[in-house]
Amino acid sequence: MIEVSGLTKRYRDITAIEDLTFQVSKGEVLGFLGPNGSGKSTTMRILTGFQPATSGTVKVAGFDVFEQPLEVKKRVGYLPENPPLYPDMTIRAYLRFVADLKGVPRKQIRDEVDRVARAAHVDHVMDRLIANVSKGYKQRVGIAQALIGSPDILILDEPTVGLDPSQILEVRDLIRSFKGKHTIILSTHIMQEVVATCDSVLVIARGRLRARDTLESLQQKHPGKSLEEIFLELTSNVRTEPGEQSQAA
Amino acid sequence: MRSSIAIAKKEILLYFTTPIAYVAFFATSFIGAWFFLSFTSEFQRRTMQFMQFQAPQFLERMNLTEMVAAPLIVNMGLVLAFVVPFLTMRLLAEERKQNTMELLMTAPIRSIDIVLGKYLAGLAILLVIVGIVAVFPLLLTIFGTSDAGSAVEWQTVSSGLLGFFLMGAAFLAIGLFISSLTDSQVVAALITFFVLLLTWVVSWKAGDLEGKAQQVMVYLSSVSHLVPFARGMVSLEDFVYFLSIIVLGLFLTHRSVESRRWA
Repeated sequence: MIEVSGLTKRYRDITAIEDLTFQVSKGEVLGFLGPNGSGKSTTMRILTGFQPATSGTVKVAGFDVFEQPLEVKKRVGYLPENPPLYPDMTIRAYLRFVADLKGVPRKQIRDEVDRVARAAHVDHVMDRLIANVSKGYKQRVGIAQALIGSPDILILDEPTVGLDPSQILEVRDLIRSFKGKHTIILSTHIMQEVVATCDSVLVIARGRLRARDTLESLQQKHPGKSLEEIFLELTSNVRTEPGEQSQAA
Repeated sequence: MRSSIAIAKKEILLYFTTPIAYVAFFATSFIGAWFFLSFTSEFQRRTMQFMQFQAPQFLERMNLTEMVAAPLIVNMGLVLAFVVPFLTMRLLAEERKQNTMELLMTAPIRSIDIVLGKYLAGLAILLVIVGIVAVFPLLLTIFGTSDAGSAVEWQTVSSGLLGFFLMGAAFLAIGLFISSLTDSQVVAALITFFVLLLTWVVSWKAGDLEGKAQQVMVYLSSVSHLVPFARGMVSLEDFVYFLSIIVLGLFLTHRSVESRRWA
């Protein structure tokens, strides 16, 4: 479903991600794990066509993100790190606007908005201004927005960040409920999140791929360690390998 | 096209849920009424004067179109230079500031749809402002019509309103482009205001110059292209002036939005 090869992004002298190669198969729920600043958001922005890569290619559902961005965007629902909301709109007006943008047929807009609102549990606050709802609701409106048009692929950038514990559980339940309907990439820096929601995991640190595996086989490769410890081990010792000096150049 | 309209609808909704549209309408109607009252009372004063001196040859030349409607429309053009920056400042700057550009840029739409949608919303507000300005000559028609006919010549007034609309459309295109360059609404408004005011006053210095330089200064000035419209003279040259600003402004905005996809 998603094929990334040799993906590199540089900002002047900073390398955000370097030579990422991985695939995501249809229906997979992939946890995209890495410490803050490791290049998760940058990768997601490239996958969704918001930013161009310096080099490398991304294919989503067979379409190249750089060559046929509109085809890719039709198939991807995206929740950016900061939910892209208009504070002065009501939730209903906002979701209708997004449905219109995504080209949902006019007659189906009402039903589609109701459907995603129910799925994201915002259907009882539809006529409140986005500015006046809590952070948890804002996050859910962001998720509802990504669901509009039932895209094949959902890319969710830290969907639970800044939420309180009960909201985190709710959002995790929500994501679990999408399993089987969408291919999902979900970024986080919390290991439990991956355990709670994902089939497999991709770990990056300092812009480099550290692991791409299912949870079980990751645990088999590091016997006797908790996932937490595995994560720390994978993300900490990046600089020690001598061959990687070129990264700073 | 559909996504342009979706964006235009959203912008219009936001113009009316925030006070911007109401303030713009209030400002134009209040200042318009002020101009209207001053021009009509000046008209009245002169008429009385000529009647006193029994100068029918002057009285004959007194006419509301030329002495009230035309100067009103030209002066309202200056009001546009104040109002338009506030209409355009948020259009793209705000999207960038509140990260909603990410939504627009990852939706299956083209940059041109974003630009046109934003511009259409501005035009819709501008049309209401044109409507507000049109009320004043309408008042003259309603209360000033006698057996001799309508108090104002609507042909001339319509051409004036057309020129006013074209100038507003050109100003909007300039403002939209400037809004695409920054994520600060205040900076966008200030720069737009500066540029629009400059197009207005550039002709003031034209008198000091000679030959080609003078012609260029006069040609650049927006007001020197509005005045012929207000006098009822629709010429290709003035049309081309406003249309080229609109096309150039939208083209640059499109380039500016598109460039963000590649940075």
